[in-house]
Amino acid sequence: MSADILTFIIFLPAVTAFALMVTTKNVQAVRNIAFLSTLAILVLVLKLYISFEPQAQMQFVTNTPWIVEYGIRYYIGVDGFSLTILMMIAILIPTAYLLLWDGRTKGYWINMLLVQTGVTGTLLSLDIVLFYFFWEVMLLPVFLMIGIMGTGNKVFTTIKVTVYTMGGSLLMFLAIMYLGVSYFNEFGEWSFQYDKLTQITTLSHTERLYCFFAFVIAFGIKIPLFPLHTWIMDTYKNAPTGAVFLLSSIMAKLGVYAIVRFMIPLFPDIYVEFSTYFVCLGLFGLIYFGIAALKQDDMKRMFAYSSASHLSFIAAGIFSLNSYGINGALYLMIAHAMATGALFLLVGLIHYKTGYKTISDLGGLAKKAPILTFVFAIMLFANVGLPGTNGFVAELLIIFGIYEFNHTLGYIAGFTVVIGASYMLWMFQRAILQDRVGEALKMSDLKMKEILGFAPWIVLVFLMGIAPDLFIDKFEPTVTYFLDDILKIGEVK
Amino acid sequence: MESGLIIWIILAPLLGALLNGGLYFYHITQRAIPQRLFSIIGTLSPILGFIFTLILFLDMKETGNTYSQDLFTWLEVGNLHISMKLLADNLSIFMTMFVTFVGSLIHIYAIGYMHKDPGFGKFFAYFNLFLASMLILVLADNPIVLFIGWEGVGVCSYLLIKFYYGKAENVTAANKAFIVNRVGDLGFLLGVVTLFFAVGEGDMSFSSLEANIGNVSPELLVLSGVLLFVGAMGKSAQIPLFTWLPDAMAGPTPISALIHAATMVTAGIYMVARFHFLYEGVEGVGLYIAYVGAASALFAAIIACKQQDIKKILAYSTMSQLGYMFIGVGLGYYSSGLFHVFTHAFFKAMLFMGAGGIIIAVHHHQNIFKIAQERVNLPIISGTFLIGVIAISGIPPFSGFFSKDAILAAAFAEGEYLIWIIGMFTAFLTAFYMFRLYFILFWAPNKKVGNPYVYTSKTITIPLAILALGAFGAGFLNLPTVLWGEHLVDTWLLQLNSKVLHMSHLTEWILMILSVGVASAGIYVSYKKYANFDVFKPESEEGLIANKFYVDEFYDKTLVKPIQKLSVFIDKVVDTKIIDGFIMGTCNKFVEFGKIVGTLQTANVRFYAAFMLVGMSCIFIYLYISLGL
Amino acid sequence: MISLTSYAFVSMTLFTIGVMGVVSRRNVFVIYMSIELMLNGVNLFLVTFARHHLNLDGQIITIMVIAIAAAEAAIFLSVIILLFRSKKSLDTDMFTALKDKESK
Repeated sequence: MSADILTFIIFLPAVTAFALMVTTKNVQAVRNIAFLSTLAILVLVLKLYISFEPQAQMQFVTNTPWIVEYGIRYYIGVDGFSLTILMMIAILIPTAYLLLWDGRTKGYWINMLLVQTGVTGTLLSLDIVLFYFFWEVMLLPVFLMIGIMGTGNKVFTTIKVTVYTMGGSLLMFLAIMYLGVSYFNEFGEWSFQYDKLTQITTLSHTERLYCFFAFVIAFGIKIPLFPLHTWIMDTYKNAPTGAVFLLSSIMAKLGVYAIVRFMIPLFPDIYVEFSTYFVCLGLFGLIYFGIAALKQDDMKRMFAYSSASHLSFIAAGIFSLNSYGINGALYLMIAHAMATGALFLLVGLIHYKTGYKTISDLGGLAKKAPILTFVFAIMLFANVGLPGTNGFVAELLIIFGIYEFNHTLGYIAGFTVVIGASYMLWMFQRAILQDRVGEALKMSDLKMKEILGFAPWIVLVFLMGIAPDLFIDKFEPTVTYFLDDILKIGEVK
Repeated sequence: MESGLIIWIILAPLLGALLNGGLYFYHITQRAIPQRLFSIIGTLSPILGFIFTLILFLDMKETGNTYSQDLFTWLEVGNLHISMKLLADNLSIFMTMFVTFVGSLIHIYAIGYMHKDPGFGKFFAYFNLFLASMLILVLADNPIVLFIGWEGVGVCSYLLIKFYYGKAENVTAANKAFIVNRVGDLGFLLGVVTLFFAVGEGDMSFSSLEANIGNVSPELLVLSGVLLFVGAMGKSAQIPLFTWLPDAMAGPTPISALIHAATMVTAGIYMVARFHFLYEGVEGVGLYIAYVGAASALFAAIIACKQQDIKKILAYSTMSQLGYMFIGVGLGYYSSGLFHVFTHAFFKAMLFMGAGGIIIAVHHHQNIFKIAQERVNLPIISGTFLIGVIAISGIPPFSGFFSKDAILAAAFAEGEYLIWIIGMFTAFLTAFYMFRLYFILFWAPNKKVGNPYVYTSKTITIPLAILALGAFGAGFLNLPTVLWGEHLVDTWLLQLNSKVLHMSHLTEWILMILSVGVASAGIYVSYKKYANFDVFKPESEEGLIANKFYVDEFYDKTLVKPIQKLSVFIDKVVDTKIIDGFIMGTCNKFVEFGKIVGTLQTANVRFYAAFMLVGMSCIFIYLYISLGL
Repeated sequence: MISLTSYAFVSMTLFTIGVMGVVSRRNVFVIYMSIELMLNGVNLFLVTFARHHLNLDGQIITIMVIAIAAAEAAIFLSVIILLFRSKKSLDTDMFTALKDKESK
């Protein structure tokens, strides 16, 4: 198992994209080849997953010089945490391709490939500048997708989201440079590797605070944390389905992942110090976004709020300082990616088949499309956290985690149980079950390839819900080791 | 071998559900499948479950063993070790026995009832799934597995209530049921979490919780007890989480019979009994439970007196009887409460099934006055209905008397005279409204000469007959010693440390005679009023009671509407105007600043020249001064 | 002899008059002539100080400036002719095509 496998996984989609860009104009060919390359990635990641040993250190590391003058290295590696997310991405993207199959342009597929590179690169980078590079790379194709292939006020939306996110990234970059300079001042050489940067001792508490918050703002915009969330409303509504799927299911999770990978090891004392604040913020977001979702008419907007609600809950879990919360947060990342991703794709399919995506325009789909209704219902219940699905395991763990952190907050965390159910069921009733007011819509049921696309997700939802230990085993040691380390440093400092 | 059997009790209906579901998909997408196949799979699976249960029961009766089955490790994080463990002890086998038995009978009934429905296969898939979930709930060995079953029955209840989803009210009712249940589940989950952290050791199975319950401080014990009971309130439709139950009658009658009479709603009482080791330590919470039960019983009984829909009357009656059961378990008399669960399952399921038969026979009227106007001759149904009504009113030797009386005696013995009085008065009302139902449906004259006889299929009548036997005879399983009985059920459920009635035989006799008297008085008053009622002048629907004390409207005004307003407020005001307004405002400030700077670009050469002049002069003056020339 | 100050004064006067002309007059030709005035003022200044320091550098620069002024004259006058052709006016205030219009 060569260590280059990670490089291959990162760059294969980009290479395919560039090759396709210059060679063919045939949309079908582009799509098929893109799909094949994502399948290839899936196979590679599976191989990786199987040969990975669940222990605490980084594996499959590549560390070569890149920009030598400033000590920026091409430093990538994977551990239990990133491997699980990588696996999730690798499974989600090919199946999403199946569900986005018809009616897209060549540019759509090429952008999707480029995003996959960006996302994988972000996930696997261990050098902060390399991470930043991929962080920006994953945003640019989305910018194009929304601006060109979106609906509604697309140009305004795409500029808003890009500038907003980049504004945050800029702050992060300032902090990165600050850290780099501090490292240089202390050790006499430049380095941006995250494990080296954790050894900086000369920064005062205030400096660390500012750096921490610079990072938090950048990641908080992506997640989104209240109050940095206002970009998601228009974006999720106007963006094409593939972009929404990528943004919500994958890129948002990377915000949380980045917090765990970089911010926590670099600033453990501040992590511990502000944990209560962030748990409260996360829980507030959970309830706030959940209530806001109730009266939405546009389904994508409703799922945007629902997504924000769950992601705030995930963030709350991360800051709960114990293994239940963090393991639960990771599990919820995966569960949510599947459930919400599937729901977004279903809305996209409904829009494609009927031409509508607002609840007041829809109705009566259940009679015409029973299989779609069935899949919708399963994903809905996974989102709501029904026992037997992975959503429940994740939410249970996070509630345990937050309760251990603070009893009262734990009780508030329990409200996740009620909130999701209300708007989800009401939407399901009006959009799918009830007969439509006015004339009936023409609607076709899911085709075989769409069923094939959803099948792995449905299987995983139940498998992860019935036998969660199979999956948690792979990343729990990492989390435990990581946590012990952090909390020791955090307390002592 | 025996412990391996436990999982099969659950798997039988579960596999039936999956099979039926898969076949149904095939049925709607490819080729039609005869209803026969669905019904065979659909009824065979619960019957198999019953057979397995019977085997286990007989074995346990003989050997006195309890069996548990550890399937696999479910979750192992930190100190949390949860396994998928099933437990067959006396309590769970007791529950499983009547759940599978009554369940099988209702499945058979459903064959006839759902006969014309195109969604026949789907119905049986859901129905079997429900039974599987209920069995998971009852056979669970730790609270998490119990919760899996607990939510599972909630989901199946949702799916089945909205079975006729074309009509909006049905789906709304299903949503209401699910969401109100979820509020209860929130309480339950938080109770479990509190308990886990308070106990601190062991593997969360009931036996280890029971062993370590001493670790828990009294305050946390009270808190857990109350929170767990919130779950029971939701599941078993007690005040204040009861509003979903009457609306749930929108579903097909078989599910009202099974879910909302015999099984799901009793899960709350089962849960309190299962956690008896916790409630024993906090008598105050138990008393609170008993009071909630009493209040719910009374409240529901009052409302039932004025309801006009046959199923709604039965729904409120269920809520009322559930209140009795909670009085029993709340006061620590777990086996008495459970015994009432047992007898109630028989007669309530039978009453619902009978109601369903009547509804079909009179072409789907559900208003009791309309049914009376169209009355048809249904000998078996009316006969079993009468048995059911007598049983629920608490007239000996029918089963309802023994179970209800045991609970009332318990209240009296504990010195809770207020509860006893409420219970007695509710018994009076119960007899009154149940016989009101009976008289209007079957007796009150409707100016028709001779009612036509309508054939009812055997799948309806035979289960009714079997249940009628149960409704009559089940009481004898727990005859108290004062009546020369062996109180078998109490003995079987000894593990629960139920309190034993300490009362003189004389007092017991007096109490028994009083209850019979009260019930008879209720029947008499009802007879006087309704036996000759003119069914063509139905009762008015005005008034506080007839409008269910406006509870639904109250919830709507205080909870539902404000939250909806809050949702709109958050979206339109806070998000759009305040937060986003702030960000867009900042951007606009930048743009405006840019515009101001832009005014310098006048494209006028002289202006530029003048500006350059001014600028350079300033620079030179600055240099001149700073360089000190 | 005429003092250095007088020469400086004369060149500054020339220069200032030139500046004032550039800034305040609207006729294109007058602006051109004012620019020439400015250049000549500077030339005088350079030559004066070259003579004063007995250094030929100033005089060389002056000759370069004169040459550049001549080239500039050619270009200037051609541009004026083109401008006149497009707007039929010699008023510099009319040529504001590069202005910052109120953008959205």
